[in-house]
Amino acid sequence: MTLRTRLLLIFTVVVVATVALVEGLVSRTTRNAFERMENQRVDALVTQFRREFARRGEEIVRAVNSIATSDAATTIALSPDPAAHYNEAPALAVAHGLDLLELVAGDGTIISSAEWPARFGYKEEWLAGWKPRGAFLRREELSDGVTLALAAVGETQAGDHTLYIAGGQRLDREFLSTLVLPTGMRVLLYRNLEAHVSAAELIDAQGQVQQAAEFLPLIEEVRKQPRETAQMLGSGTAAETFHALPLMGNASNLLGILLIGSSRAELVELEAFLRYTGVVLAGGGILVGLVLAWWATARVTRPVQALAVSAGKVAAGEWNTTVEVASGDEVGQLARAFNHMTRELAAQRERLVQAERVAAWRELARRLAHELKNPLFPLQITVENMQRAREQYPQEFDEAFREGTATLIAELGNLKQIIGRFSDFAKMPAPHMQKVNLNELAAETMKLFEAQLAQAQITASTELDAALPRTFADPEQMTRVLRNLVLNAIDAMPGGGKLTIRTRASEGGVRLEVSDTGQGLTPEECERLFTPYYTTKTHGTGLGLAIVQSVISDHHGRISVESQPGKGATFRIELPGEA
Amino acid sequence: MREPENMLHMYSRWCAVLSIAAAVTAAGATRPRYGGTLRVEVRAAGEAADPPQTGRGMADLADAFTITRWEAGRIAVYSANDNASGGRPYLDTVEIQMARPLREQAIDLELGKADVVELGVNEPRRTAAGRKTWTSAPVRLMALVFGPRVTDERIREALALAVDRAAIHNVLLQRQGEISGALLPQWISGYAFLFPTGVEMNRARSLVAASPASARAFSFGFEDAGLRQIAERVVLNARDAGLTLAVSASGNSDVKLVEIRIGSDEPWRALGGVAAALGLPEPARGDSPEALLAAERGLLTGFRVIPLFHLPESYGVGARVRGGPGITPLGAWRFGDLWVEGSRP
Repeated sequence: MTLRTRLLLIFTVVVVATVALVEGLVSRTTRNAFERMENQRVDALVTQFRREFARRGEEIVRAVNSIATSDAATTIALSPDPAAHYNEAPALAVAHGLDLLELVAGDGTIISSAEWPARFGYKEEWLAGWKPRGAFLRREELSDGVTLALAAVGETQAGDHTLYIAGGQRLDREFLSTLVLPTGMRVLLYRNLEAHVSAAELIDAQGQVQQAAEFLPLIEEVRKQPRETAQMLGSGTAAETFHALPLMGNASNLLGILLIGSSRAELVELEAFLRYTGVVLAGGGILVGLVLAWWATARVTRPVQALAVSAGKVAAGEWNTTVEVASGDEVGQLARAFNHMTRELAAQRERLVQAERVAAWRELARRLAHELKNPLFPLQITVENMQRAREQYPQEFDEAFREGTATLIAELGNLKQIIGRFSDFAKMPAPHMQKVNLNELAAETMKLFEAQLAQAQITASTELDAALPRTFADPEQMTRVLRNLVLNAIDAMPGGGKLTIRTRASEGGVRLEVSDTGQGLTPEECERLFTPYYTTKTHGTGLGLAIVQSVISDHHGRISVESQPGKGATFRIELPGEA
Repeated sequence: MREPENMLHMYSRWCAVLSIAAAVTAAGATRPRYGGTLRVEVRAAGEAADPPQTGRGMADLADAFTITRWEAGRIAVYSANDNASGGRPYLDTVEIQMARPLREQAIDLELGKADVVELGVNEPRRTAAGRKTWTSAPVRLMALVFGPRVTDERIREALALAVDRAAIHNVLLQRQGEISGALLPQWISGYAFLFPTGVEMNRARSLVAASPASARAFSFGFEDAGLRQIAERVVLNARDAGLTLAVSASGNSDVKLVEIRIGSDEPWRALGGVAAALGLPEPARGDSPEALLAAERGLLTGFRVIPLFHLPESYGVGARVRGGPGITPLGAWRFGDLWVEGSRP
């Protein structure tokens, strides 16, 4: 993965994470704000309901007291024949805006009933021992069922006659319709008048609630434990949070449950909008972020890439490579440092080349002097012998002359051979590439050196890969390489040993190894082994392995040596396969 | 037990005393005057093509007056018959408005638009200056009548035992008429008090409890809107006993609250008429009060009919009406001796 890709990924992750975090925070904040607002609205509605409840209660108390203090009530209270007044309550109820009104004698007998006229003569046991108080909730029986009422009781005292005026208003849909509801809220009333939960008793301002069944679990919960409870009903935009308020009767009995519903549609729609907006913004943000990230990473990585390219050039030998310094930041400093480094490297290399050139010349001079000194010394001795023979032994001069000239010719031949080898190294020909089977070359070489190896008490063996592919090489030069390596191995095993030639197919080419069990090489010797004119032997020009390296290099291959002192050495040649 | 004839005689005298007392109280010493129109309002629709010739009401005018205008369902005008057997009536005409609801009749009487109006069973007996009430003997039987679908006698008996007749009589009927468990009123039979009328709620409940649950609910109807309050009280009493009566407007209800007019003061004829009106078998005739009692008991066996009250015919009479009373003890109209204030001397 490139630096640019990594940077792009990091930028992308950061952008996405940031957008998600912002979206989450906005969503959470919005939800909290909405729920706070909803709680406030519910509180306001509960307050409004309680206020309306109290106001209605006061109205009823006023109406009842108004009847109780009227002449009509006194007349009825004093009447010796209450039956004559059985029809009074309906008219009084209408006149005072009451839905329910009963005129009850002091002993609890109903004289007249507006809500159920046929109940005259029945007893209202609950009025026995009545103490004056304000309005209260009451379960009221009617001819067609029961109803929940907000009621109050007034009392008329005429002498020793008592008349109770029990009046009230139904808590029904009309009562609910008087509540001013904010948008998205609704109020339901469950009249807890039956022994079991009944969907028919759940009403709203329009009448009986449709699909009342979904409210029954909440109602049942409040019936079991009369306390304020909240529950969410429905799902999606139809979801509503309902707060259930128990409405207690005069005897602390649960007579009703007020259900204040707050629609969550706004919240759901808001959340959907936020989600949609979030997705759009996140998408846009990510897109913009990616573009910016692309631009930023390109801006950041371009100089780095230039540095990498330049470093590659330096590695390829273009020592004078520099990069453009386009900024003063860290990357600019890096570019400056790189330029400084390449300048220093170039200068250092130049110095090294010069030093190596000097060293090579010195080595060449030393070698040349050494190589030339060997034949020159016999030449000098021979010439001095010939001079001494002419001066001191003229009779033997001819023989000395013959022997001397023969020696001179031989040594001159040696000198010529030495000069020829140096000339060969200088004039290494270009390889004539053709398909070559290295196994065959290795076998031929081993066969060539059979006698010499046997004489040197060296056991030769080959481990040739039968599936070795053919490779492009100059067979003559490769034979020379093999001979040099075998000779080198023979020289490394003066006391005998084992010589092994291995071939093996390698990834993308072939590998050839020549191993000996000689005295081995030190790491320093390994480093300098392929340097021209370097040798660890007492004889030789030091050009053998240099020539080997030169040939292998001309074949675009690589040669290396593995060795440890006392454990022999292995020369490994790797050549590219058939192209 | 007194003879019915004696009772009728006593009742006639009582009505005459009432009438004289009322006349003296209302207008002091006045002399009859000829002329004038008596404005009468009735509930009956009178939708027949011709004026009624039989029954109570307009048919009673046939001798003293002759019909001069008949608009079925709206108005009937009778003019004085100069050749009437009892002599020409004082009134020139009697104008009868038909199909007038009781409430409107009461208002018209209050406003002086009507002289004689019918009073409902639970109409409050308001007295205003100069106004009178003509009341007959109890000649209407109010009863509950079961249809054939209520087959369980225990249920029928339970309802009979649950109805609180006294409360209805005291309050809704304002003590008009008589509480009764008999078909014939006391003044005709003389033994009506022998039929039980009290409430036995515990027994009613046990009877209901012993009957199947499916039999405890049935429909309940009434013939006249004026009977609604009484019907509702019956429903309430029935509920206390464990019965469920659903008030139904349809005429095909399981039990009905009905009113039957007793057409004769002769006991056997009256019983036969009531039995026929209620769909009961015709009673076997006898010649003794015991036989009458036995016949009536026989008709009531099985509680197919539950008598509740015997009620009088009642009319509200305006202040300008003089003479009378204008009805007989059996509730028949007798307008021949009436005159109205403001007519020619």
